[in-house]
Amino acid sequence: MKRIPVDQGALYFLIKQIRPELAAYIQKTKKIETVIIGLGRQGTKHAGLMKEFGTNVTAGVSVGRGGTRIHEVIPVYDRVKECLKEHPNIAVASIWRHYSGVRDVVIEVIESGIPIVVLITEGIPLKDVRDIIVAARKHNTLLFGGNTPGIIFPPEGIKIGMLPDIFYPEEKSKEEFGPRGVTIISRSGAILYHLSDALASAGIAQNAVLGIGGDGAIGTRFRDIVPLIQQYPNTDLIVVAGEIGGSQEELLAEDIIAHPKKYPIPIVGLISGANAPSGKTMGHAGAIITPGQNYGTFKSKKEALEKAGVTVVNSQFELVETVKEILQGWKYFSVERYQEKMIKTWEEPPKKVGWATLITKVQPNNLIIAGYPLKDIIKKKTFIETAYLLVKGNFPEVEQIKELEQIALNAIKLPTPEVNVIEKEDISKTIAKYLLQDEILAKYCIEESKSPPNQVMFCLGRVAGYLASILGNKNLLKNIDLKQPFSHVIYKILTGHTVIDEKKSGVLEAMIVASVDHGVTPPSAQATVIAATVRAAYEVAVAQGVSAITDVHGGAGAKAAQFFKKCITLAKEKNIELAEAVEENISIYMKEGKRIQGLGHRFHTRDPRRDILWIKAKHAGIAGECVEISKIITDIFKRVRGIDLPINVDGVIGAIIADMGLDPNLAKAVFIYGRIAGLSAHYFEEIASQPQMRRIDFSEAVYKGEKSRKLPT
Amino acid sequence: MRLYEHESKRVFEQSGIPIPKQFGVVHSVDEIKKLDLEYPAMAKAAVLIGGRGRAGGIKKVTSLEEAIHNTEMLLKLRIKEHPVYTVFFEEAVEECEACYVGVTTDPNTFNNVLVVSASGGINIEEVAQTRPETIIKREILNNDRALQNNIIKEVTDLLNQDLQLSNEQKVILASIIDKVYRTFQEIDAKLCEINPVIITPDNVVAADAKIVLDDNGLYRQSKLLETLGITSRRHDVAEPTPNEKQAHSQGFPYVDLLPSDITKDENKLYVGLVPGGAGYGIFSIDEVMNIGNKFFDGKVVPINFMDSGGGPPQNQVAQMFHLLMDYPLTDIIITSRFGGISSCDVFIRGLIQALRERHRNNQRIIPIYGRMVGTDLPSAKNYLEKAKQESPEALQLMEIVVGNEKIMADVIKEGIRRGFEIKKEGSS
Repeated sequence: MKRIPVDQGALYFLIKQIRPELAAYIQKTKKIETVIIGLGRQGTKHAGLMKEFGTNVTAGVSVGRGGTRIHEVIPVYDRVKECLKEHPNIAVASIWRHYSGVRDVVIEVIESGIPIVVLITEGIPLKDVRDIIVAARKHNTLLFGGNTPGIIFPPEGIKIGMLPDIFYPEEKSKEEFGPRGVTIISRSGAILYHLSDALASAGIAQNAVLGIGGDGAIGTRFRDIVPLIQQYPNTDLIVVAGEIGGSQEELLAEDIIAHPKKYPIPIVGLISGANAPSGKTMGHAGAIITPGQNYGTFKSKKEALEKAGVTVVNSQFELVETVKEILQGWKYFSVERYQEKMIKTWEEPPKKVGWATLITKVQPNNLIIAGYPLKDIIKKKTFIETAYLLVKGNFPEVEQIKELEQIALNAIKLPTPEVNVIEKEDISKTIAKYLLQDEILAKYCIEESKSPPNQVMFCLGRVAGYLASILGNKNLLKNIDLKQPFSHVIYKILTGHTVIDEKKSGVLEAMIVASVDHGVTPPSAQATVIAATVRAAYEVAVAQGVSAITDVHGGAGAKAAQFFKKCITLAKEKNIELAEAVEENISIYMKEGKRIQGLGHRFHTRDPRRDILWIKAKHAGIAGECVEISKIITDIFKRVRGIDLPINVDGVIGAIIADMGLDPNLAKAVFIYGRIAGLSAHYFEEIASQPQMRRIDFSEAVYKGEKSRKLPT
Repeated sequence: MRLYEHESKRVFEQSGIPIPKQFGVVHSVDEIKKLDLEYPAMAKAAVLIGGRGRAGGIKKVTSLEEAIHNTEMLLKLRIKEHPVYTVFFEEAVEECEACYVGVTTDPNTFNNVLVVSASGGINIEEVAQTRPETIIKREILNNDRALQNNIIKEVTDLLNQDLQLSNEQKVILASIIDKVYRTFQEIDAKLCEINPVIITPDNVVAADAKIVLDDNGLYRQSKLLETLGITSRRHDVAEPTPNEKQAHSQGFPYVDLLPSDITKDENKLYVGLVPGGAGYGIFSIDEVMNIGNKFFDGKVVPINFMDSGGGPPQNQVAQMFHLLMDYPLTDIIITSRFGGISSCDVFIRGLIQALRERHRNNQRIIPIYGRMVGTDLPSAKNYLEKAKQESPEALQLMEIVVGNEKIMADVIKEGIRRGFEIKKEGSS
């Protein structure tokens, strides 16, 4: 069913009455932005339910949790002010904090100018409520509550609060909801289910349901909100659901008598508590009859409203009959269809909820990082920019890039730890050892705990330093000039060359960028994320991930390069075609029961990173016989072995490294170096968006990040 | 929560408001001798309901014999149905002029309102009706902790037009007005009232005092409650009943609608309610009453309010049913679960748990009629079907309608009809 546009609904109408300029903005964007304040168990749960219902939950506020996310995609801020700086057009706030600490935050929200505030909190001391009300009056705020179940707008699919999805709107056609119906305004929450149920049984739609709160003193009273809804053109009748206690109903009646023109739409009053004993509080702080008082009783309310011409009912039967009569039997929808829908809603098995990552979308033959195709990123962006994109979801501004590079370059220049390297030790383990022993890095991460990108840049600089030591190029570090591009420094460190070959440097960086990430499922990412669930330090979690990059995962490039080289040697020795040599070597490997590395992929039949690397290598004039083999090996393998195992990114990197005349083992160093950026992103995402020590099914991760977009030019 | 007069006076005394000398509190005649009484003294019944003076709840005593005799009388008294358990003694004050000082929250605007009147000592609501011109009201638009001096001066001067006080007395009266307001703000009160403030030739005293505390603010008034020796929350007019105390200790709101010593009329059907949230809790009482009046000759009596909403855990649901089945008055329970945020599954498991426990322990099981609809309905339905097969005996008096094809009013009507049927079968 199609919902009505937000600017035709009752919520928009209310916003327009009090903040016309904000309404104009909403009319343009067709979005009503909301914020949720107080993210305890209830608040967090209902943020999810509101979002599922269709509410635009723009942000959350919870002290001490700024910089994190709830439901994986809703950003959280420490303070209302910080939130509004990022999202200045928030129109509705719901507040879920405990009564003992809610006063100050409600006043902060009211003073910020948000026009509609829904105060869910129950049991706020009267004295604090008075402070809140004084502020709301001063700032012309429409304050629902305290102790309100919330407000819900079925035709447009927006709810703020905890009302369940049971209120049914008008059906304009079989495909489309309409805006008309009955508006219910109620002091209580639970009664609303039974009102809606009764009305729906007669085909009567609800276009808005507003809970004004069950406490003794509340922000918006019947007398304030009923006249506003009277002006909403899509409401055909208003049900005022009152109860004993207080004088709200009497006050409304007085106003109707004094200003009948403000009340053109018929009102039905449903008052509960005809049989309540006096002097005993019944659940709602507001629902108490004070002995000796001449207002607040069922009788006083009924008489006052009837004097004002309002029909008063006290049962479901009477309500249905009265509403039917006033609306002359009009049906807004088919009752059968409504019941079918409800049964379907209730019988639906609970949705299997995956968990979200906003970093990389992994599709067969396609990798998309924060909405950008990785192959385009490889083509056009530097490693620094890509690492930033992974962590922040956006590329850095041009002026930022220099600063980021400076952090990395400075990190390289600081002394590296003394680490003993054992012969034949996996380079991943060596790097992990450095990471764990690096006190400078550890201190930096503690100091910069608020800025994940800075930590990542610093870490990348440090790892570059380790690589220089490991590869025996430490002496080059002395001459590093802080003004040169970071990619040049990497080129020097990895190759040991002192003179920069721009093209080669570009290809090397492209290979690093190609390795940055492959979603949450690779074992290295899993290891890092698991460490993050127990809130291990950043560099520790990265070391865990790096340690998991073994010959089985991520180490294929070197082995592939060795195989390619063997083939070239064979071709030269026997003076045969390359293809022939490849075929022969595959047969030999098969006989010996050895695997040929660099072939095959879990997801991709045509690795999205492959072609762009080949092209770059070709343009740089690097592509030689190894690259040639990497292009033909898949076909040959299929011919010999009968299995289609396409070349993967490891194989391609291995081939290019070999053609550059570099040590094939460097392929793995390139892979690890690039992947550290991805591991970092997964680490910070986990910390920011998930509860501690959660159980993780990695196969259930769902990409919920930016939609596909074009690379900025 | 309303405080007793002697408690209210202690609060005012602590705020520096002069009160008559207090001699102490007794619960029986024997305790009188331990008090250091000075005569003449006032013996006052400690009750939470108004109209005590007219009901004979206040006696002047001039000797120990009189004190004993009158206390005996007072402890036998019932004031508007409320028994007297406590009597307190205080100095008798000579009355010259009397006035009224009170602070409360305006029910229309929720602003604080200061009310004073030179017509002290009598029912202020009555004065408001009969001689409204003698009542001076000032709505306080801010929520500051103290009154502005100009307001205090203004109302004191207005009062003085009738009272004709000496300068000294005027200063004391002004300070009482100031202190009553400060006390009201400090202790999270809903009402602070001195009626009358008595002006004697040499003093101004608070002769009667009434304080109603805001239940929502009690959590931060623990120090005050401690000084008064109050350990459990009470109603505005009465101490909680045993059922209410039990429900409170188990964590759900519950109110008895009938006095605990009522005689059961066997022609009537007494309906216990486990209805859902607070608002529907109030409404369902009306539903039962209205349906009883319309279709069953007014022979149906709802017996309780309960707030069973907000998703109570299974064990608490079971306790809700246990409480009503332990209550001898209950003939039938009508229950409704509209699982919006809460779960039908937890609810039905709690209900079945209670029935099985009672069956196992040979406790009284009474018929239950109800409806459930909403969240987790499929699993609740499965559980119910399975439970019916597993323990048919324990569940034979339970009928739960699943789904919303009937609205709750229809279910209540049908439940009451069945309730009368079962009652008839039982008695024949």
